Amino acid sequence: MSRRMCWLPAVLCLATITGIAAAGDQFDRNFGWLVYSKDSLYHRISVYQYGSLVTLRFATRDPLLVQSQVDTADPSRHMTEYTAMAFSGLLYQPEPRKALVLGLGGGVIPRELRRYYPELHVDVVEIDPDIPPVAEQYFGFRADEKLVVHIADGRVFIRQQLRQDPVPKYDLIVLDAFAGDYIPFHLMTREFLQEVQGVLAPGGVVVANVFYNNRLFDAELKSFMDVFPRCQAYLGVLSTNAMIVAGGSEVPALTAEDAAARAEALQVAHGFTFDMRAVAARLRLDVAPDPRAQVLTDDQAPVNSLRWQETERQPAGDRRP
Amino acid sequence: MLVACVAGWMIMELEILGARVLAPYFGSAIYVVMGSVIGVFLLSMSGGYMLGGLLSAGCHSELALGFCLTGAGAWLCAMPLIIRPVCEGIWDAGFDDKWGSLIATLALFAVPTMLLGTVSPTAVRWLTRQASQSGRSAGLVLAVSTVASFAGCVVTAFCLVLLSVRRTIAVSGVVLLAVGGAVLIHVWLSARRRRSAGPSEELNPRSP
Repeated sequence: MSRRMCWLPAVLCLATITGIAAAGDQFDRNFGWLVYSKDSLYHRISVYQYGSLVTLRFATRDPLLVQSQVDTADPSRHMTEYTAMAFSGLLYQPEPRKALVLGLGGGVIPRELRRYYPELHVDVVEIDPDIPPVAEQYFGFRADEKLVVHIADGRVFIRQQLRQDPVPKYDLIVLDAFAGDYIPFHLMTREFLQEVQGVLAPGGVVVANVFYNNRLFDAELKSFMDVFPRCQAYLGVLSTNAMIVAGGSEVPALTAEDAAARAEALQVAHGFTFDMRAVAARLRLDVAPDPRAQVLTDDQAPVNSLRWQETERQPAGDRRP
Repeated sequence: MLVACVAGWMIMELEILGARVLAPYFGSAIYVVMGSVIGVFLLSMSGGYMLGGLLSAGCHSELALGFCLTGAGAWLCAMPLIIRPVCEGIWDAGFDDKWGSLIATLALFAVPTMLLGTVSPTAVRWLTRQASQSGRSAGLVLAVSTVASFAGCVVTAFCLVLLSVRRTIAVSGVVLLAVGGAVLIHVWLSARRRRSAGPSEELNPRSP
């Protein structure tokens, strides 16, 4: 090689390294290529794609934590354990007519509810106006006259409903509002749960998505038990998600056998793509809050400090988002 | 100086607790925290600065300060009782969460913040013996009260929110009553000393 060409390999090396480094920022080894990111007023929204798999993440302490995940080639497949577990409420209220979902994310739960219950009216409340367009563009979420998205704070929305005459009542209320990896404190207190109870129809149930491997779970469970006569918990096996299902005294307290039988009936009736019997099997009758746990109130709800104190409850299976 | 510290701390503590107090009624949307809380606090503080400036020019500046502090303290002691009626009343009046949060913050926090804001100008006035030193005094007072604000901000956000918010506000009210009371007692004692010292002393107001 002539002397003039000596710099060429160096430049090529540098270009390759820079290219790899730049692409490295855009490729997450857990989730794939970063196809969209935005700093909204409330979250750092990131959407990753790997083949047909699309994942929604917010900036959280846990690098594996996923808000929503959809396989766009097979959208009815539940990619995360918790979206299937959210259906546990149907074991108690098998024929809901009106549902309220707090927190949109990728829109998986509202969309799946409508898939199996086409006549169900769903009100979704989402505080971040940047989320619905992301859900529509990347996760195949579509609103219509029976699936309505309201941009508002969840508690403010419920307060507004309580002031209407007559008060609209929901058969199924799903609490899935997260700011990253924590629930805002005013959506966890006894007073909030009392307001939720005010919009719950007779025989209706509240299903709350929570994490169970920390002290906050004990405080949450105790707060639910303080307000609702009936409370049962479903604990994830593949993840640290749990569903607290709560309702009035007319809602049955299920045994493991009851849950299995009802799950079988629902599976036959609706043909879920996930296994409803596996969801029912997650029912844990032995779960009770730690006696030292305190009920969360508007006045005192140290949620951030409790959230990061781990307890011994851990998932039985391999960790998966 | 101590008074400036206390005032600086209290203002930031109230700001953080204020957002916490409003969230159950008006949510945690951006216009509640950023717009309403921070906006109202800034406005009230500037109102306090103006008022403090006016009061410090008079010969009863110490007395006025004492009343401002005890007034703020009394308001904070009463606040836990008025939060619910005020916020529910605003909802009943039909305001939505955006304007409702602004009105609630004004109704609950404008007065005590303004009263606390009167401290800084008065402290500058007292520390300044000559006009040429006024910049130095102002710098000192602002620095000290801002450091106290930082401390109040951090301690509140990291520790105090773990406790009962209402109790923290009430305790803060008691502290302000005590500080204000101390200032008033100091004024009263100085006035007594002056009267017993004789009429020639009356034309020289003391400073703390």
